[in-house]
Amino acid sequence: MSQIQARFFTEDKRYVVDDVPFSIPAASEVQELSNVINKLLEAKNASHSKVEFDFLVRGQFLRTSLSAHMETESILTEEVVEIEYVERITAPEPEECMMHDDWISSVDADAEWILTGSYDKTARIWSTEGKPVMTVPGHTDVVKDVAWVKREGLTSLLLTASLDQTVLLWEWNSERNKVEARHCCRGHAGSVDTISVDPTGTKVRLLQTIFPVLSVPTDEQDEIKEPADRPRKKQKTQQLGLTRTPLMTLSGHSEAVSSVLWCDSEEVCSASWDHTIRIWDVDTGGMKTTLTGSKVFNCISYSPLCRRLASGSTDRHIRLWDPRTKDGSLVLLSLTSHTGWVTAVKWAPSHEHQLVSGSLDNLIKLWDTRSCKAPLYDLAAHEDKVFCVDWTESGLMLSGGADNKLYTYRYSAQQAEA
Amino acid sequence: MKKAGEKTALKRSKEEEEEQNQIFNFNRKPADEDKDDDLSDSEDSVYSGLEDSGSDAEGEEGSDEKEEDDDDDDDDKMKERTEEEVSEEKKEDEYEHDSSDEEDIRNTVGNIPVEWYKDFPHIGYNLDGKKIYKPIRNKDELDDFLDKMENPEYWRTVHDKQTGSDIVLSDDQVELVNRLQRGQFGDVNFNEYEPMVEFFSSDVMIHPITNRPADKRSFIPSLTEKEKVSKLVHAIKMGWLKPRRVEDDGRGRYYDLWASEDSSILARHRMHLPAPKIPLPGHHESYNPPPEYLFTDEERALWEQQDPGDRKLPFVPRKYSSLRQVPAFSHFIHERFERCLDLYLCPRQRKMRVNVNPEDLIPQLPKPKDLQPFPTTQSLVYRGHSGLVRSISVSPSGQWLASGSDDGSVRFWEVCSSRCMKMVQVGGAVKSIAWNPNPSVCLLAVALDSVVLILSPSLADKQVILSSERLLSAQQEGEEPAEGNGSVVWSEAEGEELNQGVRLKIQHPKAVHQVVWHAKGDYLASVMPDNTSHLQVYIHQLSQRRSQNPFSRNKGLVQCVSFHPIRPYFFVATQRSIRIYNLVKQEMTKKLQANSKWISSMAVHPGGDHVICGSYDCKLSWFDLDLSTKPYKMLRHHKKAVRGVAYHRLYPLFASASDDGSVIICHGTVYNDLLQNPLIVPVKVLRGHVMTHDLGVLDVTFHPTQPWVFSSGADATIRLFT
Repeated sequence: MSQIQARFFTEDKRYVVDDVPFSIPAASEVQELSNVINKLLEAKNASHSKVEFDFLVRGQFLRTSLSAHMETESILTEEVVEIEYVERITAPEPEECMMHDDWISSVDADAEWILTGSYDKTARIWSTEGKPVMTVPGHTDVVKDVAWVKREGLTSLLLTASLDQTVLLWEWNSERNKVEARHCCRGHAGSVDTISVDPTGTKVRLLQTIFPVLSVPTDEQDEIKEPADRPRKKQKTQQLGLTRTPLMTLSGHSEAVSSVLWCDSEEVCSASWDHTIRIWDVDTGGMKTTLTGSKVFNCISYSPLCRRLASGSTDRHIRLWDPRTKDGSLVLLSLTSHTGWVTAVKWAPSHEHQLVSGSLDNLIKLWDTRSCKAPLYDLAAHEDKVFCVDWTESGLMLSGGADNKLYTYRYSAQQAEA
Repeated sequence: MKKAGEKTALKRSKEEEEEQNQIFNFNRKPADEDKDDDLSDSEDSVYSGLEDSGSDAEGEEGSDEKEEDDDDDDDDKMKERTEEEVSEEKKEDEYEHDSSDEEDIRNTVGNIPVEWYKDFPHIGYNLDGKKIYKPIRNKDELDDFLDKMENPEYWRTVHDKQTGSDIVLSDDQVELVNRLQRGQFGDVNFNEYEPMVEFFSSDVMIHPITNRPADKRSFIPSLTEKEKVSKLVHAIKMGWLKPRRVEDDGRGRYYDLWASEDSSILARHRMHLPAPKIPLPGHHESYNPPPEYLFTDEERALWEQQDPGDRKLPFVPRKYSSLRQVPAFSHFIHERFERCLDLYLCPRQRKMRVNVNPEDLIPQLPKPKDLQPFPTTQSLVYRGHSGLVRSISVSPSGQWLASGSDDGSVRFWEVCSSRCMKMVQVGGAVKSIAWNPNPSVCLLAVALDSVVLILSPSLADKQVILSSERLLSAQQEGEEPAEGNGSVVWSEAEGEELNQGVRLKIQHPKAVHQVVWHAKGDYLASVMPDNTSHLQVYIHQLSQRRSQNPFSRNKGLVQCVSFHPIRPYFFVATQRSIRIYNLVKQEMTKKLQANSKWISSMAVHPGGDHVICGSYDCKLSWFDLDLSTKPYKMLRHHKKAVRGVAYHRLYPLFASASDDGSVIICHGTVYNDLLQNPLIVPVKVLRGHVMTHDLGVLDVTFHPTQPWVFSSGADATIRLFT
């Protein structure tokens, strides 16, 4: 039992080694295996510089000794073990800390700009370097969610949702640094907690949810707004732009809707406090699927890469769902490490296995679904509750919380697709 | 032989006279009968083939004789007959004495048939080799007859075939014959009852009777036996042979002989209690006790002073130099009498020890795991207050939480983020706070000092805020409320207070301790505990701005009140009991006895048929109104006074908050079936609050839709457990 036959392989062209089985000690851990690969690469290529590797045995990251891992995964030690190795994901490095005046409720970032919503009733625009660019005042209550809609050259459209039951559509010119309210979307009978923008971008649709303060609790609403006509030029006449009403109301949730998102251009997904995730057909407005959990859902995220839904609950678990299952009550995977409510969860935009989660226990955790027992990294930058997390494709991770700070982290942009 | 004999007899019967024939026949008769018997009894003949063959052999023998007899017939019939008679006797004799020892030494021819010498004049040779001549037999039958008639010795005269002479037997010989005939020993002096020498006895002797070594076969198992047994076993195995079944007789060979015994007798035996024993004598009783057992003067004086019943010893220990000098015990009769009295009067009772497994006494409760969901962990802490938080209330939507504190502020919190959204300074320690349960209005009642404030926190839809404003302003139109009792003054808030959201002030004559809304949201009850007045409870109607005191008499210090969630009932908890009033009929319908010293709080089940109340003596009582006026269940899980109790609106949960800093969540399922009692299972103890000034958790309330519980404590925090 001291030696195990193993064969190493990788997808990464730079680090390919010969496809020969090796006999390695069963008690070896990641560091020893990494040394083995490095030795092999050095033997092959003298100019090789040392790289830290991570190892996958049958799609699961190796975290303990090889023998212990194989025992828990019930892999036979007699056969040759196929071990995949990938370059280790380096810990995200904290970059900037952007101070706000109040708690940060939401963040949305793209390649150039960061948009944050805050409890001081404003939304702010920051550069990715952490420079404050613009403050968007206008709401009469806490801004609960923000979203970029689209960008055409220097002008950008952005949305802010607030507890004052309105969603405002703003036009922001980055050169002149001027922001104008273009539309005010009304229709909710409660606070608007979350919005989501159709990612296809051909039509600008947005989705907003409410906190139910309605007289009849079954009458919860998700609302979709579609400013289909071209924008009129009358915004100046009204301070807050033209009022728009919902195109469609999706009712069915019996309690507050905590999170909405577009799966694709036809499907909308919503998570609610009534322990369900519902998937709606936008064209008909009908419900397609219901995923039933046992606890309140705080947040959901959908990854088009792996076609999974990740949900964060009040019972501190992150659960992965397959939205395509018909009677979906099946949890594919539970990621458990947080000790408080999971308030934010986000899939990596460029990596099909990674997601980041924020929790009321002040921690941000970076997860890989191939290592479901423990997160890859814990980011303990925040001193108070974390409310929002986000990724950008440019390799930036953001998180904001109740300590009024927005942290950005630089993570190694993944080359898995390369 | 018998057959042969018979044949000769038949032949003879033809030739001889009838008489003789008859004698012969007579003699042979039994044989004949025997033969008949033989023939008729076929079973016997078949049965014993061995005898048959034997008879055949005899027949052959007999046939030989017959031939000889036939020859004889010609010669001398008389002689033949006698001979035959004698030969019959002799034959028996021959068998008797058929041994070489008995050989006749007078005639040396040996034991040969006499017939061989019948043609000779002699019959043998004597020891000297001389011929022994036959005696001249000239006796004919007549002589013989005469001889028979006349000779008195005739009966003992025997013809000796060997010598051919007649011998007269002596008396001894006759006696011997008689003895032999009787089956006795020939020797008169022989003692047949000699004492037996026991050679083979059970005693092991030092010298063995036989010294033969034991056979080898006695050591090895018998092969034939083994073969037999194995055959039987094989037959049993193959089922050819059924082993004999052991028949069980009904009672069995061994049975309880005393089974039918009268049980009362047995019981008496079993219940026998031995009389109590008198203690053994000690050193005190000794005639020569060690000196420390002897009384000193004080002890003696004390003994004499004491009542005989109180004395430690019934006598005074005394010392004597020898046992001889010990006098008679003067109290002997008395002491015996006392002992008899003891035995007679002593109550004897068998102590019945009940053998109960303590585990059996614990009711079978479902596991808490099966009763989920219920709050288990602390999720959020709402910090901001600076004084102890006396009261909390959750908005009907579940989005907002209102809290009233001793620091004179009312705070509004966002439940999901623990963000304090709003703070209203009311200028006094807030005693009680209650959110209007009607979801179409957004109002809050706050009790502080002697005022009840109606707040509009504007934390809702514009429509809802508008409707609640309208509800308040409607009162203005219908103004001039006839405040008959005069002691309650309604007034509008103004200025700064109005901006903060205070809409109405209801001024009470005394300090208000509790406010509570009716489920419809229009009526509001306030409690002013006062032991001396009947003005303890007011019911206010918001839309009419009217107040009334429903009770005209003081029934005790009112602790808290509550409206029935569905029906027009009103619950009033005084110090020791809960009274239920019908508001329509205006009469008391029920009075619940809490069995506790001082009720602190009360909550009514959303179904309306159950009430829980907490008391300052650490108890929580559950009342089933349909069942009894006594508590259905008392829970004593808290270490200190219970401050607050609450039911969940949807889930079968209730919670109790206590001064020991813990909140206990219990599962309480209520069944629609009247026969089934509520199932109450304590499921979780929630801790988190820090003890401050000996106060722990002051109020507890459930989230309206989720299985979450809020608790407010003396440590100025509110905690959410999910």
